[in-house]
Amino acid sequence: MFDKIWLSHEIAVLPGDVSLLYIDRHLIHDLEAGPDLTRLARDGRQVRRPDLTFATPDHAVASVPGRVTDTNPTGGRLLREMRRRCADAGIRLFDLGQSGQGIVHVIGPELGMTHPGMLIVCADSHTCTHGGMGALAFGVGASEATHVLATQTIRQQRPRTMRIRVEGRRSSAVTAKDMVLHAIGRLGVAAGRGHAIEWAGEAVVALSVEERLTLCNMTIEMGAKIGMVAPDDTTFDYLAGRPMAPSGHLFDLAVAAWRTLPSDPAATFDVEHVLDATDLVPQITWGTNPEQVVDVTGRVPDPAAEHDPARRVAMEAALAYMGLRPGQQMQGLAVDWVFIGSCANSRLSDLREAAVVVKGRHVAPGVHAWVVPGSVDVKRAAEAEGLDEVFRSAGFEWREPGCSMCLAANGEMIGPGQRSVSTSNRNFVGRQGPGARTHLAGPAMAAAAAVTGVITDVRRLRETTS
Amino acid sequence: MNPITTVNGIGVAVPRSNIDTDVLIRINRLIEHPPDELGAYLFESWRFLPNGQPDPAFPLNLPKHEGAVVLVAGENFGCGSSREHAVWALASFGFRVVIAPSFGDIFRQNSFQNGLLTITLAADEVARIVSELQGSGQPTMVVDLVGQVVTTPSGRVVAFEIDAERRKALLDGTDDIDVTLTYAAQIEAFERIDLQRRPWNYRTTYEERAMQLLILPGDGVGAEVMEGVKRVLDWLRQSRGLDVDVHEEPFGMAAWRAHGTLMTDETWQRIQTADAILFGAIGSPEYAQIPAEQRRTDWLLEMRRSLDLYENLRPVRAIDALLDASTLRPEVVRGVDMVIVRELAGGVYFGQPRGVETLPDGTRRVVNTIVYTTPEVERIARAAFELARTRKGRLCSVDKANVLEFGAFWRETVQAIGDSEYPDVELSHMYVDNCAMQLVRDPRQFDVIVTENLFGDILSDCAAMVTGSLGMLPSASRGPVKSDGRRAALYEPVHGSAPDIAGQGVANPLAAILSLAMCLRYTLDRVNDAALVEQAVERAIVAGARTRDLARPGSTFLSTSEMTDRVIAELHS
Repeated sequence: MFDKIWLSHEIAVLPGDVSLLYIDRHLIHDLEAGPDLTRLARDGRQVRRPDLTFATPDHAVASVPGRVTDTNPTGGRLLREMRRRCADAGIRLFDLGQSGQGIVHVIGPELGMTHPGMLIVCADSHTCTHGGMGALAFGVGASEATHVLATQTIRQQRPRTMRIRVEGRRSSAVTAKDMVLHAIGRLGVAAGRGHAIEWAGEAVVALSVEERLTLCNMTIEMGAKIGMVAPDDTTFDYLAGRPMAPSGHLFDLAVAAWRTLPSDPAATFDVEHVLDATDLVPQITWGTNPEQVVDVTGRVPDPAAEHDPARRVAMEAALAYMGLRPGQQMQGLAVDWVFIGSCANSRLSDLREAAVVVKGRHVAPGVHAWVVPGSVDVKRAAEAEGLDEVFRSAGFEWREPGCSMCLAANGEMIGPGQRSVSTSNRNFVGRQGPGARTHLAGPAMAAAAAVTGVITDVRRLRETTS
Repeated sequence: MNPITTVNGIGVAVPRSNIDTDVLIRINRLIEHPPDELGAYLFESWRFLPNGQPDPAFPLNLPKHEGAVVLVAGENFGCGSSREHAVWALASFGFRVVIAPSFGDIFRQNSFQNGLLTITLAADEVARIVSELQGSGQPTMVVDLVGQVVTTPSGRVVAFEIDAERRKALLDGTDDIDVTLTYAAQIEAFERIDLQRRPWNYRTTYEERAMQLLILPGDGVGAEVMEGVKRVLDWLRQSRGLDVDVHEEPFGMAAWRAHGTLMTDETWQRIQTADAILFGAIGSPEYAQIPAEQRRTDWLLEMRRSLDLYENLRPVRAIDALLDASTLRPEVVRGVDMVIVRELAGGVYFGQPRGVETLPDGTRRVVNTIVYTTPEVERIARAAFELARTRKGRLCSVDKANVLEFGAFWRETVQAIGDSEYPDVELSHMYVDNCAMQLVRDPRQFDVIVTENLFGDILSDCAAMVTGSLGMLPSASRGPVKSDGRRAALYEPVHGSAPDIAGQGVANPLAAILSLAMCLRYTLDRVNDAALVEQAVERAIVAGARTRDLARPGSTFLSTSEMTDRVIAELHS
């Protein structure tokens, strides 16, 4: 599948085995769009395909209810620059309060802007998310993004291929987030470097589109900038009728083409891994990168047992930063913050999953609990089915769409030494604020931490849920 | 891009694996500082202690590593976020080369774009260089891109591999965009063929059902001012890509003349399904021609009722250039900026029992009833609190709690919503008689006022005259959020049909145009366009454009269409 999409976008092969690839969709966001477009204009260049470029503010906008452009002043400066430059270039901007505004990797699939077989880039490493729809999508830096704006192409060396098959059936308490955290824990944060990963196997095929997006979202945390799931009827059903998806005869034509994308049964990959979802349990990270993860029923590992010296040093540093001791139980660790949001887990199904746990319960005393829906459309859909009321009446803050506390680019952050359970994708040092201690988990697990005030195996709460 | 050939200088080792780009440069720094200042914040969370002082143990802070140009690190260096700022931070700190067993894919790509040389060496070789750097008092290194060798602090010469094309680009400092643009013909050819192959790929319009706008010009000056609204709408569709379906139906006397009925079934159907109604005005002496039977229904009230338009917004804002239009002193009016939120679907206008009866002794008796339920008060209170949040954050709730039970009920209910849901909004209460007085004594004290239907009717007219320019005042009325997320809404100028000047072409179209701006903001989610229209109106006024109602007696004035011309001209500017 990867090769088919790659080759169908290859305009030329440049010296040094570099492919010049055509870009079907270029997503731009508030952190990069203004400066990149300004640089482009400064160099006297034009945006080649404004019609294939789409913009939305997500990274640096405030998420507080009633937020306006300048609620976060630095975000407001970036947003104004983006608005002006997008208007000049004729780029469609999904602005604050409009249907379509939200985290770039939420709105692409949701609007039907992302199709199987597309080549998509964005100046954000989590662009791999769109691979959940069978697109070839990856993050780029500012210079590459500027190159795409000017040429609608990118120069890339073809990565090696890797397939990760997740076989077996997962239990109902196990989410796509648990699957991917487990996979990163097993294979490591550098396992995918230099590779495009195709997720396959019984447990992956069984996932909904939104779950596949979560799975592919975290492929970059394994070091691979591309993660994909083969498109199938689940994908096509999801796309049908979305505002920017093809419709009528064009949709039928497109589906016929998309059906030819999945890898041939005989296809070979440079590397192959097989994992089993059967006995998987909810996961939670203990350290400062996503491979430092354990079963929620587990304990903090002991660096003394690690043979690799660099790894041991990293573990010791992580334990010191996280304020943890080897052998400590994960369950029962007191939390100060719970953040449900981010391009990993802020879609309607994620909010539903958390709401099931929250319903009829209340946020534990002293815990700050936030829900930041991934987009205006997610927020509206959630409100239409009353999820906002479930969260609000339980003591959660129900906020406006954006990246928010995943990376604290908008000034919303967790205090030094405070512990959070977060549905985001990175537990790096200082990611949620200087000194903040992040534990990554799925939405239901985050909800369980919010209502109990400690890291809790969500399955224990489910037993008591009617 | 600056070419790179040989780098000769101090090296430093940070021998940790998986150094991510968040650790290289924190997000708030890259937002707040230009690329060439980011070096000051490189490795911020490791380089500095919590008290802000440099951590003397961190390698970059050791005197022997001062001025380092070569960084040696653990595997998977630069993993995580795609931020190119990580490369810029390294470069602005002074680094020209990073050596590691492996690099994050996106980081490596970004490095090449900026002439930062990333060299991959085997893990054991990196470990040797690390210990040489740590052990040496003179940790100098030479990196020779031409010869593809690194000279370590101990003088060992280690060869490294690099892709020939990348090496050439680094040596020449070529610009990728320029090179790619030499392939412009191939790119165009690809697009031509691909359009045939994958036509759906280039279909990028956002095909949510276009919003349905219904224009009902109505009676009196309605038709004249709505001409201005239509021209502004046309401009927005042409110049701002506004995608709306606009439909117009006769209303009032125009409907009577065209169809022999005040309300056709088709118009009523469109009223029920429109996303927004742009309404002109209702009321004309000509209604006397219509048989009383047909005249009985007040169709505006009927629309409000059937669409449940419970939320009526009346903004009142003083424009400096028009201060002399007010009967109040300029210093009282200057800076007034308030919105009256009137409950529009309940209270005495709809309460039962109502009517006039004749008692057995021949005395006539009249009854009207004020009726409110808790949800009715709560929903208008929430609307007002939400609005206050987007403004100065002050809400004044107006009632008659000292005399009427419904007043005390209103006050308690609003207070409870404020306490439980909007502690951030400053809530005050005022009796309606006092409020009328305060509106003319010191109108600047108000931000958002919320009140019930009858009081709102009276107070909003009182507030309208604070600025004196009735021809400038828009209004919006909105219904509850429906299951599909939409809300019925009706936008109309406050001034009414003005039969005395109807048909003369002198009415002020600005209130109707500003009502369209409210529609852009509240129904169409086009906040930017709303501001654009409002600013154009204000600029036209400041530039001296005046219709008859705004002009000084005896001075010249613009016609309705000339005023619209001036607004359109400002929109273009």
